[in-house]
This record gives sequence, structure tokens and C-alpha cells, in this order.
Amino acid sequence: MSLLSIHDLVAEFDSPSGIARAVDGVSFDVQPGEIFGIVGESGCGKSATCRAILRLFGGAPARIAGGRILLDGVGDLAALHERQLAQVRGRDVAFIFQDPLTALNPTMKIGRQITEVIRRHQNITRAKARAAALQLLRDVHITSPERRLDSYPHELSGGLRQRVVIAMALALRPRLIIADEPTTALDVTVQDQILRLLKERRDRLGTSIILITHDLGVVSQICDRMAVMYAGRVVETGPVREVLDSPSHPYTQALLAALPGQVGREQALTPIEGAPPSLISPPPGCRFAPRCKLAQPDCAIGPPPPLHARDGVSSGHVDACILNEVAHGAA
Amino acid sequence: MAQLDFQRVERRFPVKRGLLDIVARRDRIYLHAVRGVDLRVSPGDILGIVGESGCGKSTLARIGVGLQQSDGGQVVFDGRPLAGPDPAGRLQMVFQDPYSSLNPRMTIGAQLEEVVAHYFPKLPRARRAARVAEILAEVSLDPETALKFPHALSGGQRQRVSIARALCPDPEILVADEPVSALDASVQAQIINLLKRLNREKGLTIIFISHDMNVVRYLCDRVAVMYLGEIVELQDSQDLFGDPRHPYTRALIAAVPDVRHAQSLAEPITGEIPDPFAIPRGCRFATRCPFAETACQNPQEMLPLGRAGGVRCWKAIPSD
Repeated sequence: MSLLSIHDLVAEFDSPSGIARAVDGVSFDVQPGEIFGIVGESGCGKSATCRAILRLFGGAPARIAGGRILLDGVGDLAALHERQLAQVRGRDVAFIFQDPLTALNPTMKIGRQITEVIRRHQNITRAKARAAALQLLRDVHITSPERRLDSYPHELSGGLRQRVVIAMALALRPRLIIADEPTTALDVTVQDQILRLLKERRDRLGTSIILITHDLGVVSQICDRMAVMYAGRVVETGPVREVLDSPSHPYTQALLAALPGQVGREQALTPIEGAPPSLISPPPGCRFAPRCKLAQPDCAIGPPPPLHARDGVSSGHVDACILNEVAHGAA
Repeated sequence: MAQLDFQRVERRFPVKRGLLDIVARRDRIYLHAVRGVDLRVSPGDILGIVGESGCGKSTLARIGVGLQQSDGGQVVFDGRPLAGPDPAGRLQMVFQDPYSSLNPRMTIGAQLEEVVAHYFPKLPRARRAARVAEILAEVSLDPETALKFPHALSGGQRQRVSIARALCPDPEILVADEPVSALDASVQAQIINLLKRLNREKGLTIIFISHDMNVVRYLCDRVAVMYLGEIVELQDSQDLFGDPRHPYTRALIAAVPDVRHAQSLAEPITGEIPDPFAIPRGCRFATRCPFAETACQNPQEMLPLGRAGGVRCWKAIPSD
């Protein structure tokens, strides 16, 4: 039984030049205790997908325009009223933002912010909430937590702030954490610490995590399965080692080939020419086709191709390239 | 070809004092952004400067092109101490965010022509456009780009334009401060290829400032690692990545996630960069170093290593 199961999710944003479908028919499952990575370049819809799960559009003119978001034991989040969804946020599903400063109230001490989260959902005394907050800070390996409870966010370093945000996300023991680029603003040595912390949490308590990132290295380091998004759609998904070691969609292949470290110093890197399509009026057929080196005339016809299994292997490694489908059908 | 030479370069910033500090006549407190940096940039090299935020790499870059003055030591360019931006434009800089460094209300062509006119005043007006077209071709942009405004370009195209602008005076040294950090990986590759081509084909010397170890490893011939204002290791790129000597360099390399493997086996270093106002007296990395001992409380000198390299750690003496 999946913890989270997303079917054909569509999310739209109003813009001056029309309606942009930032998320256009996205489906994936997250299992209990799984770390699921979503990767893609800026504007691919990875963040919009995850914000749509909790409807955290931050005041942007956006809405869910289709699909279902089934959370085990709760039901379809897309069908919940705002008030019901507010109960799900934090309690069942917690969200970690890229910039910890925007997630913390600059005028409130850390301790007060954490106890407020706890006391909103649980009827316990202030003293007990403070003790719980202290334990949460210990859980995320913050040294001298007593002192930190009385600090303001600006007094902490970037890494410490992100630990505090994680501690707040863990406060209600959610079954699922959605982390949107949680380490992008941090230095690599600190990023390493935060990734280990998330993984440790999963290992100890079986918390599922959706990790959104543009960094394939981060996915490789801690995720179990992953989805690659392009122009509002998932183009490939499967176990991380399979997708990264033998990518089957041309976009995933191109993305990996563009990274330094894949070729020797004397070889040139292979950039992807062109730019992603407009999400207001995307091209017909496969959205990567205009930039794809392998594209055939058939690629630019009809609706965007769905995900389909590869070589009949049941590992769950699927992609949305019709050329692979043809190869598979002929075999 | 002119050589750029940093000699014991220092840069400190006074910390703002409150009224109480002034009344109580407390001493001024300084933040040392750059401390005793010795660095020789050989013509034709791509020199990488890596380090985490606040290590002083950007300050060093700005001092290197004369945009900022040093408080101690000097930068020697072409045999003379550098006292400001080079009037002939032989030292040029490219910044991380190309959008903020371009004029949004001028076409690309007009901006570039202005730069060409500044450095080559004798060039007839009619020839300027042709020169701009040449430079645009050099960074692989269509000639029509000259007619566009910055907002009509993609991030990658904008960064090409800012490189094109830096190329206008026909510089000898290009200092690029995190030029690909704001770009997606697929576009990053274009800019990296471009820089490499300019180096190989025109012999342009490049100082490449970055926090991305993968990019530096691919692009740079030599690499300096900075920590809290000091260079802690300097080696040829291959040696630095193949046999890093300083514990910080090792930690930095080990912390980079690799797409080919799952979690790295190396033990992570703990803690974060110390408060710049409470810097350890001896080795600055000692507070986070897994190998720290009592002797590390003494100030560390740069010990020679390999071909004009060095390492600032008494325990990292070469084994041979």
C-alpha cells in the first residue's frame, strides 16, 4: 500500500500571457519509508507538483485543475476543504523550504516557534512542549539546544537554521516530509550533514521523504527511487541506481551527459541546445522533441506520450519516450 | 603576456560599532576577509579558486582586477603594483548574475559598442558594429543578438553576453566569479565549454571562482582552496583531486555527492565554518578537523608541495 499516490495531477498558474500548466498530468507513488527524489531543471514543475500536494501556493494565482492526491488513511487531498487540509499539514505531511529564513518568524525565538507548532496540534502544557522542543533540537544534532531555544533565527548560521526547520517539520511526527531543495542554499560540507540527517530520520522512524532537487548527485546519495520531470511532466521514473546508471529517456541521458565529471578533461561537455518550451502553449507530442537529438517525425504528434515499462522488466523503471516503446514493441 | 602576482594580500573590513563601543573606547574590530594570500597566476592557465561561502574567494577576485584595494601586501600586474582597474582593460571580470550586470534599457549591440568605443577610441564608428559582431560570434551568439534587450535572452545567453562584454577590450586575464552557479546543468555546460575554448584558442588566462568541485575539477589546470580568508592548499588540479593533502580539501571533495555512487564512505566533518569574529588562533580549520592535535594551535605556514604548490598543514608533509 502506497503512502502517497498521485494520479494525473494538473496544476495551473495564471500569468499575464495566459494559463500556464506547470504540472500537466503527473503520476507517481511514494511507499512508506521511502526517499523519493524529483529532479529537473528550473521551471520543470517539480516544485509546483509538491506545493500542489499541500496547496501551498503562497498566494500565487494557482489551483489544482485535475487529478487525485491519495494519502493513505486520509483520502484525496485534492478534494479536501482548506480547513481539513490545514489539519493534514504538519500532522501527516510536513514541508521544508529551500530558504530556512523565510520559513522562520524573524521576531520570535526558536523555542516559541517550535512549541507553537506542537501546541497547535496537541493539548499539552507549555513546559511539556518546551521539553519536546528541546528533544527535537537534540534529534537534529544541534549542540547546546537549551541555548538555541532562546535564540532568534538571525543569530543562527544557515545550516543551523535548516536544522531548526527540519526539527519543526519533525515536531508532529509526520509520515511524509516534502523537502524542496533543502540544501541548495548550503555549502557542500553542511549539505552533506543535512542529507545524512534526513536519511537517519527515515532509517530510525520510517518517515517517507519526497526530495526535490536540481542536483543529480544529491538524488544519487540518498534517494531510493526518483522521477525526472521536464516541462510539467514526468519523463522517467524508477529505482535511483537504474535511472542514473542506465537512463532510458533521451532527456535524462542528456542531463547526465551535460555534467562535468562524466567525461575526461580534454573532451568537451555536451550541453542541451535550445530552451524548454512554454507551458502556456506547449508543443504537441513529446515536449523534449524540439531539443532531442534522437527525435523522429512521430515524436511531435498528438498528446504527450505516457510512461510505459521498458523491456518488460518489472522493476518499475519506466519512461515516456515513444522510441523506446517502438523498440520494445518490435522485440 | 603579463603576469598577475598576489603578494601577501590582506583585506579586512571594519565592523560597525555601536555608540556604546565608541563611548567606551573599545578597539575597532576587523573582519579579515583575505589574509596573507600569495598566488602567482601563470599566463595561459585556468586557475580555480574554491571554498565555501565567506571564505574570501570573491574578495580576492575583486582585488585581483583592481575593483577593491588590498590593505596589506600588493597585487603585481605586468611588473607594476595594481592601483585600480587596468586602464587598457587587460583584466576583466564576469559576475555570477549576468542580469544585474547588463543595462536593461540598452540593446546588447549598443552596450557592447560602448565598451569597444571606450577601449578603442580610434576605431571608426562604422567599424564598431563589425567588431561587436566578431565578439558575439566568438561567444557563439547569433549576430541578431545585438538588436535584442537583456530581458529577451535566456540565462545562458545573458552570461555569454557578459563574457562578450569582458572580451571587448581584448583582455589577457578574465576573472569569472561563480559564472555558472545560477544556471541549469544543461546550460552550465555551454558556458564551461566556451571558457575552455577561449583559453585553448586565444590563450586567455582565466581565474575561475567557484564552490562547485565537479566544475573546477573539469575546467581548471591549477586549484587554490580557501578557508576563512587563507589559501590552505594549492596544487595542479589532477594532484589536488587525486591526492588532496589538507584535511579541509579532503572533506570538501568527500562531501560532493556523486551521480555514479550512492552515499560516500568518508566520515563527514562536523560543525560549520566558525564565526569570522571568533577565528581560532592557530590552524583555522582545527575546530572542525578530525586530525587536530595540540600542535595545531600554532599558526600554520604554507609548506611547499609539488610544482609551485603548497599546503597549510604541518601534518600534510609529502610522504616522499
